[in-house]
Amino acid sequence: MAADANADADGPHDTDAAGTDDGATDDADDADTVDVPHPAFEPYARETVPQAAVGSPGKDGRLELRFAATSGGTTLVHDYATVPFHLSGTLDYDPHPDGETVFVQSPTGGVAQGDRHEVTVEVGADAVAHVSTGSSTKVQSMTHNYAGAETTLSVGSGGHLDYAPEPTILHADARYAEEFSLDLAAGASAVVSNVVVPGRLARDERFAFERYLSRTRATGPDGPLFADATHLTPAESDPTAPGVLGEFAVYGAAFVVAPDRDAAALSDTLHDAVAGGADGDARAGATELPNGAGVAVRALADRAETVRAALHAAWDRARRELVGAPAPAGRKY
Amino acid sequence: MSDREEAAADDPLAALESFRLADSFLPVGGYTLSYGLEQFVADDRVTGADDLRDLLATYLRNQLGPAELVALRAAHAAAGDGDVDAVCDADRRLTAVTLPAEFRESSRKSGRRLLSLQRELRDDPVLDGYAERVEEGDTACNYAVVLGAATGVAGVDADRACLLCCHGFVTGRLGVAQRLLSLGHTDAQRVLDDLRPVMVEAADDSVGRGLADMTPFSPLVDVLSAEHERADRRLFVS
Repeated sequence: MAADANADADGPHDTDAAGTDDGATDDADDADTVDVPHPAFEPYARETVPQAAVGSPGKDGRLELRFAATSGGTTLVHDYATVPFHLSGTLDYDPHPDGETVFVQSPTGGVAQGDRHEVTVEVGADAVAHVSTGSSTKVQSMTHNYAGAETTLSVGSGGHLDYAPEPTILHADARYAEEFSLDLAAGASAVVSNVVVPGRLARDERFAFERYLSRTRATGPDGPLFADATHLTPAESDPTAPGVLGEFAVYGAAFVVAPDRDAAALSDTLHDAVAGGADGDARAGATELPNGAGVAVRALADRAETVRAALHAAWDRARRELVGAPAPAGRKY
Repeated sequence: MSDREEAAADDPLAALESFRLADSFLPVGGYTLSYGLEQFVADDRVTGADDLRDLLATYLRNQLGPAELVALRAAHAAAGDGDVDAVCDADRRLTAVTLPAEFRESSRKSGRRLLSLQRELRDDPVLDGYAERVEEGDTACNYAVVLGAATGVAGVDADRACLLCCHGFVTGRLGVAQRLLSLGHTDAQRVLDDLRPVMVEAADDSVGRGLADMTPFSPLVDVLSAEHERADRRLFVS
């Protein structure tokens, strides 16, 4: 691979198609402008990567999954994966009789500087799919550039997607930008969750990463539904400030997006599922999303397991309401 | 600062308008809205002036700066251009990033009060056009957006309008805090005074952002707001 990395930081796939149809006033069309998910990442993007260049094989992993409803239940009808993504088939694991499951694996040690990943998951009409990862995503320490991942999810009419990867662990000096965009057709629903762990907590690494930006945007048949962002820069702005993460380290969110359902009732149901209050529980709550989109669940705790347990409880209730089947067991090994 | 903005900053009538809009006397019902503060007090997370100041700093840094003031600036510019569609766009985008349901409801309630008040005081085609869209259910009427549009048509410059919004937010919550805590008037003034640099920081943060780059982030506030939605006893709407 290219040892001399005078990288074109744009990489080969710099399309900006997902969800920035904003007509906003901020995008200056400067010839020097590099394509970045957020202006804060621009200085990083200008840094060359000393190992394999941005966009070179192994750095630009792609994953494409397409599910369709067939007479034998939901089937994975198209799949394509390049390093660091690896697939080893589907699993008959979902309690839903028609559900199909894919656990995405990685043969690498984690996400490295200069990586640009692109994930596309399409769930066809009336199909039920669950996509997760086999283990946590480790975002490794960086001295140059940054790592980014763009995930595009779509669900056809009457379909349902659960996109619930294992937690993302941000090692010291990591710079990571991830974007999720979800588009739902009429009558479709999805649960999209994400947990971020601010370091290798067992070795007392906490909030030593440089920058983490995670954005989620959802649209439905009638246009934009909601947008959410997690932006943490521990050196500049204290993540443990009151009202931000407070005394907690691990943060997770689950978005139950179901514009055709009674969001008020679902919000109360999910809140009951997560608002434990007992010692060892996460501090968590549920609220109705804007535009009748569904419900947002947020959970905070000291340990990733605790946040996962809260979000799993919410996911389980949501799934019973939405597709009439419980969530699959959380344990994968 | 452009000539036009400089003229606006010097206009004594615009200055008076900004004083009126920043005054806690402004009848927009802010005294019923705690924006989660009631739950922070109930949870013993805010017990005195210092806790209150630190929590309000989070609101300024993580909610107003990266979201509400961005929408305010967009609405301010749109109102100056007479562009009702752009005011509605700012409004809808602010709604889409305001995830706690009680915050959307609070913002909508006080926004509607401010809009109807401004329209009682004077006729303006932008505010009238915007009110029509609100009536049609086309857009939510968020407070920051109404404030942006109102200051835009009144010739109050955008930076001042942002500071005014921060000041109004903090004084509103201090009023709430005085009913939840034993907080003396001097303590309240001290918090307001201490937070001045944070208000300036929030106003500055909103400058370079477009509507697609609104990133409010305060998950613990969101969780406590969710708890407040279901609290048995509560004095405040949010």
